[in-house]
Amino acid sequence: MNINTDLKKQNTYDAIVVGSGISGGWAAKELTQKGLKVLMLERGKNIEHIKDYDSAMKAPWEIAYCGQLTQEQKRTHPVQTRDYPYQQANESWWVNDLECPYTEDKRFDWYRGFHVGGKSLMWGRQSYRFSDINFEDNKKDGHGNDWPIRYKDIAPWYDYVEKFAGISGQNEGWPLLPDGQFLPPMDMNCVEKSVKERIEKHYNKSRILTIGRSANLTVPHQGRGNCQYRNLCSRGCPFGAYFSTQSSTLPAAMATKKLTVRPYSIVNHIIYDEDSKKAKGVMVIDSETNESMEFYAKIVFVNGSTLGSTFILLNSTSEAHPNGLGNGSGQLGHNLMDHHFRCGAEGTVEGFEDKYTYGRRANGIYIPRYQNFKDDKRDYLRGFGYQGAASRGHWHKEVAELDFGGDFKEILSRPAESWTMGLGGFGEMLPYYENKVYIDHSKKDKWGQPVLAIDCEYKENEAKMREDMMYDAAEMLEAAGAKNVKAYDNGCYPGMTIHEMGTARMGNDPKESVLNKWNQMHEVSNVFVTDGSCMPSSACQNPSLTYMALTARACDYAVKELKKKNI
Amino acid sequence: MERREALKKMAFLMGGAISATTMSVLFESFTVYNPEQRTTYSFLASDGEIFGEFAEIILPTTTNSPGAKAAGIGTLIPLLIKDCYPLNLQEIFKKGFEDMLAKCRTKFNKEFLNLNTAEKNQLMKELKQETIDNNREPSFFLIARDLTLLGYFTSEIGCTIAREYLPIPGKYDGNADYIPGQKAWAI
Repeated sequence: MNINTDLKKQNTYDAIVVGSGISGGWAAKELTQKGLKVLMLERGKNIEHIKDYDSAMKAPWEIAYCGQLTQEQKRTHPVQTRDYPYQQANESWWVNDLECPYTEDKRFDWYRGFHVGGKSLMWGRQSYRFSDINFEDNKKDGHGNDWPIRYKDIAPWYDYVEKFAGISGQNEGWPLLPDGQFLPPMDMNCVEKSVKERIEKHYNKSRILTIGRSANLTVPHQGRGNCQYRNLCSRGCPFGAYFSTQSSTLPAAMATKKLTVRPYSIVNHIIYDEDSKKAKGVMVIDSETNESMEFYAKIVFVNGSTLGSTFILLNSTSEAHPNGLGNGSGQLGHNLMDHHFRCGAEGTVEGFEDKYTYGRRANGIYIPRYQNFKDDKRDYLRGFGYQGAASRGHWHKEVAELDFGGDFKEILSRPAESWTMGLGGFGEMLPYYENKVYIDHSKKDKWGQPVLAIDCEYKENEAKMREDMMYDAAEMLEAAGAKNVKAYDNGCYPGMTIHEMGTARMGNDPKESVLNKWNQMHEVSNVFVTDGSCMPSSACQNPSLTYMALTARACDYAVKELKKKNI
Repeated sequence: MERREALKKMAFLMGGAISATTMSVLFESFTVYNPEQRTTYSFLASDGEIFGEFAEIILPTTTNSPGAKAAGIGTLIPLLIKDCYPLNLQEIFKKGFEDMLAKCRTKFNKEFLNLNTAEKNQLMKELKQETIDNNREPSFFLIARDLTLLGYFTSEIGCTIAREYLPIPGKYDGNADYIPGQKAWAI
């Protein structure tokens, strides 16, 4: 009997954080720094900062198969190979799709990384605030439910997380893209500066172009080194120069000596206590031994990535919560969103043949949303922004002409004749109730768990927006004097942007939403969900910064409520 | 709005042509995993020498830098074919390779390795023309040339001698002067 009591005590913490990616890392840091004893559960392996970044210092010739993927990798990673992120240099950081299948009622590209740090190791690092226009759009046009917060509620938390994470960027005073607490901006190159000037003049500053706001350090910050301009971020940074769990939140949490990290721990469900009407802990499957075990805590933060978290909640059924934990509203699993991209335009820019670049900047330029704002009315709702860059690459027409020989080799050893400038749109996707996920019990993963089924598609609003994403880009490039301007739409499926959001939305009304304005479950007061699943709308900005701010804000609230004994 | 209509038409015509201007497009578009085709061809060790000589014609040693043979492309090509390509492309490659060897015998009455430089160039021109005439469908010439370019410019020789490699630039300058004749950065 004593043994069981001891085990229970040993497995009891003040807080459990499920997941170790961007939002889980923040939750661990905030909760431990506020004095809580925290257990962070990660379903995958450990990756130790710097030491385990196996390919970070490898030269191009040290990467197997010249960086190309093998047929065997394509066999074991049928989803991860659908787009660019899964690369030979960091291939072990992406899931083996065969081990953790899911059901695609419609095509949905689900990119996943199971390891300590999650996708914070491989993320794109673009960091943009949402504005009040984003927080109000749902209410204004009636799609989705109203956000329970406004910009003023989250602004101090954006300040807080930016200061710690280290975001480089330029304040612009643009109403749709609030300013922030930035480290010095990276430089635009000469062509981008020229394009900026000409676009802003042509559109009389009703559109602006700014340097990307990126979680890459331009100066040393918080004991971390600044960016060395290698542009190899997705292999892990040996200088700690971009924000990741490993470089930033994890060391801060570990320094409190209050954090326990347990890798190889798949959270199967949250254990609900019918008497207290609260969660009492989580049931975990050890992914190496298949052994199941329980951990207990006063509060649970669910940060398993948008669909990972929603799977856990849907799988946490009890008499009181037969359709998933805290799902009295019936909204859990619904309103899945992503952004949509892979369309825009590019062209060549002449007149800079005497200029070149030095260093590889892991960042580009950004044109924040300007549509459906002031006089700029469109025949669809919401809008899009652009990411882009100018570069002088390696391309020579002789490659396509199938040339060969000594002269050909010399040509290829020189930079391209001219610069190219590209603009790629990132569009908002409306929240649609019918875009949903649910549990498919007919299939099992490697650990015997049922799998998630995804039924999600872009609709008319997104299709109309994509036309403008192409032609606005082409028009701007022409206005900037670019030649050979070509618009393109390479097609997009939900999931490809890896900005999946929604399925456990926040809201004021418990009948219409899963979480309240503090990311706290309406129905289970000691469970908080602060990753992408909480989002009532997607805006068109890259969302991770918003997850960081919401997480820090929710942690502050949760600890205050704990102290007041309200939860 | 007229301009917009013109842009629309152009986009329609161009389709995915933009991405077709990258070196590895052939590789990316044709090497989708095919579950029915898992067996692979093996190559003879002596084939490596032929691939090396083939690659050397594509990217030969010049006064500025060693060529594809020195960069190890002869052993790289069969490795990539075997592990990265599905069987249907391996078959096209293998068949085209054998056709090329046969062509040397009928046309020059020599083995490939015994061709002189002029003969090699003539052979290559013919293979190039055949590929163009065949609407650039995957062929031995196209695949082997593509792998030569990919392999050479990711090799140590290609990165550090033909081009210039900066492992840790340390800073970014987007307005650097380009000195005429300056090499391209390796990546």
